[in-house]
Amino acid sequence: MDLDYKFLVQTFYLVLGAIPTTLKLTFVSLLAATPFAFAIAMVRRQSGRRILSQIVKAYVTFMRGTPIVLQILMIYSVLPSVLNAVALAWNLPINVFDWDPVLYAYIVFTLNTIALLSEVFRSALGSVVQGQMEAALCAGLTRVQAYIHIILPQALVSAMPNLCNLTINLLKGTSLAFLMTVKDMTAVAKVAASYGYNYIEAYMDVLVGYVIVCSIVQVLFHFAERHVGRYRLVRQK
Amino acid sequence: MRPFSPDFMFGVVPMLLPFLGVTLAVVVGTVLAGSLFGGLLAWIRMGRNTILRYVAEAYIYMIRCTPSIVMLFVVFYGLPKFCLEVFDTNINDYDKIVFVWITFILLFSAPISEVMRSAYESIDHGQYEAAVSIGLSPWQAFFHIVLPQATVTALPNFGNSVINLMKEGSLAYTIGLVDIIGKGQLIIAHHYGAYALETYLALAAIYLLLTLGVEKSFLYLEHTFSASEKIS
Amino acid sequence: MLKIRNVHKRYHENEILKGVDVTVDKGDVVTILGPSGSGKTTLLRCMNFLERADEGSMDFDEYHVKLHDASSHDVGKIRKKTAFVFQNYNLFQNKTALENVMVGLVIGRGMDKSKAQEIGMKALDKVGLADRYRYYPAQLSGGQQQRVGIARAIAVEPDVILFDEPTSALDPELVGEVLNVIKQLAKEGKTMVIVTHEMKFAADVATHVIFMADGKIVEEGDPKTIFLCPKEERTKTFLRRILPGVEYNI
Repeated sequence: MDLDYKFLVQTFYLVLGAIPTTLKLTFVSLLAATPFAFAIAMVRRQSGRRILSQIVKAYVTFMRGTPIVLQILMIYSVLPSVLNAVALAWNLPINVFDWDPVLYAYIVFTLNTIALLSEVFRSALGSVVQGQMEAALCAGLTRVQAYIHIILPQALVSAMPNLCNLTINLLKGTSLAFLMTVKDMTAVAKVAASYGYNYIEAYMDVLVGYVIVCSIVQVLFHFAERHVGRYRLVRQK
Repeated sequence: MRPFSPDFMFGVVPMLLPFLGVTLAVVVGTVLAGSLFGGLLAWIRMGRNTILRYVAEAYIYMIRCTPSIVMLFVVFYGLPKFCLEVFDTNINDYDKIVFVWITFILLFSAPISEVMRSAYESIDHGQYEAAVSIGLSPWQAFFHIVLPQATVTALPNFGNSVINLMKEGSLAYTIGLVDIIGKGQLIIAHHYGAYALETYLALAAIYLLLTLGVEKSFLYLEHTFSASEKIS
Repeated sequence: MLKIRNVHKRYHENEILKGVDVTVDKGDVVTILGPSGSGKTTLLRCMNFLERADEGSMDFDEYHVKLHDASSHDVGKIRKKTAFVFQNYNLFQNKTALENVMVGLVIGRGMDKSKAQEIGMKALDKVGLADRYRYYPAQLSGGQQQRVGIARAIAVEPDVILFDEPTSALDPELVGEVLNVIKQLAKEGKTMVIVTHEMKFAADVATHVIFMADGKIVEEGDPKTIFLCPKEERTKTFLRRILPGVEYNI
């Protein structure tokens, strides 16, 4: 099969150039989601606060049960006009439609990640045996201290594989940012391809790009897992 | 800004539902063919042929790193050109669902092969040994003893993969397949972009019911099968 | 009836079996004793091809095969003449006690279900578990599970039953019920090869005792000779440790 190798190489550089955008989308969303996800996990672990618990549960169910593309379409079609209406109503001197669309991408991916991440945290916190908390309280730690020094470090270890999966999935999910005209790896290739109809070459570049980025993320997680899980490694030897 | 119209949201559902069949056809076709292909991959990965094993592992790794949308575009834009130039066959006129199926079979088979492999490996080898020790052939031992148990073990992860597939399948509209999302987009376009939120919410509700339905069905299956092991 | 000669088995560097010969005649109860790591279990598993020996031959009635390259056809035939009772029972977790016993008959031998059911119930009755036929393995105690395991083995009417430490995974109070079932089988003249750590039981039930150490047979003979006047130093040390308070004459 004839491939346009010159185009292949040129586009590859374009795709590489867009890697920071993809990474930023991924990690900003992840970081922004973390405190909310943790709060949701804590709310759902406590037995009281029935109503709040039901609300966050509904939120998580909705986010996990609907396609992310639908969430993107929904927010991208509605949020700008809502914000615009707010700006008009309060006479704010801003034009919402001038904003960089990447903002909406951050919002969508953060909202989605909050739900998925809260489930990861919830199961990780549940994996730490009850005796650890009791032992910490008996040793004179407060509940907060027990969480910070005893529970969380252990929960983090059991959360690592799921965190890695979540990050990979989020990274792949950001490929949909082109729907919001964000210039990530996929979008850049799509645009380049559309000039000369070189779709195969362009998407091969994108594939390679994602394999590279995903591999880096997995290697990082591998080391992080070894680091936070030191105490387990020692025990096994 | 136009006020939200609940009437439209409920009214749009009957217009969407006739296209649910397409959405489900994507999922069911992919699950069937993808499971076969996934089973083959799992079998290769546990097999003795080192070269094939590396190929399968590389494939699974690559798929793990590939966004669905990229795979969909590769198949939709790339495959016709590939078939035309290599096999001299024109597949441009094939129904869009064919491309969607190919895409998601490629994507689904990789994680599902891992689900199958880990389920198979979770079954104690003693079960197989006991079966052959009382005169079953290796194939009989596999089909009558190991496979039924591995299936039960695989159910939760299999269910998750099906739910993921169902959600990812919603991307099919981007290449012009008219499933429920595709129809929704057409309806919105028909109203010049108005009623977008209403339509999307209706779609979200349909998807929510679908995914919850699949989740509950798998829980039910799991419960039924594992119940037989505990209560009589 | 069953003869294996010169069995060798290696795992990487370790030689587990260094040329072992065993002869089993009809009606024999052969018990194999020895310290852990002596290769007893591996030997038994090689006899049923659960492990492939690296060298050795087997004569089993009309079958004469090399242990290392027996065809899967011959392996299947020989396995149908034997049955195996596992240390950790290995009952099929997804099948009831009766179904466990029937699998070998219905699937392995194509017997029709009602006949298999009849034989299965008889086998369960023999191990005293006819009333538990509908129970799943998870609902049975270890001793009961092992008795089902024995029922599963006798149901296929094998020429030889191989027992791999049938009581060593059991709580002490459950050992007796399983040993009694095996003793009963011995009384009926069943041919058995038993790897065990239960010395008193071995002495009671055996017609022939083999003592193994380091992958070789150190000493073998009738139980009286082995237990009361063993010749080899290794046998004496082993028995002294296991059965303290018994003095051996030389």
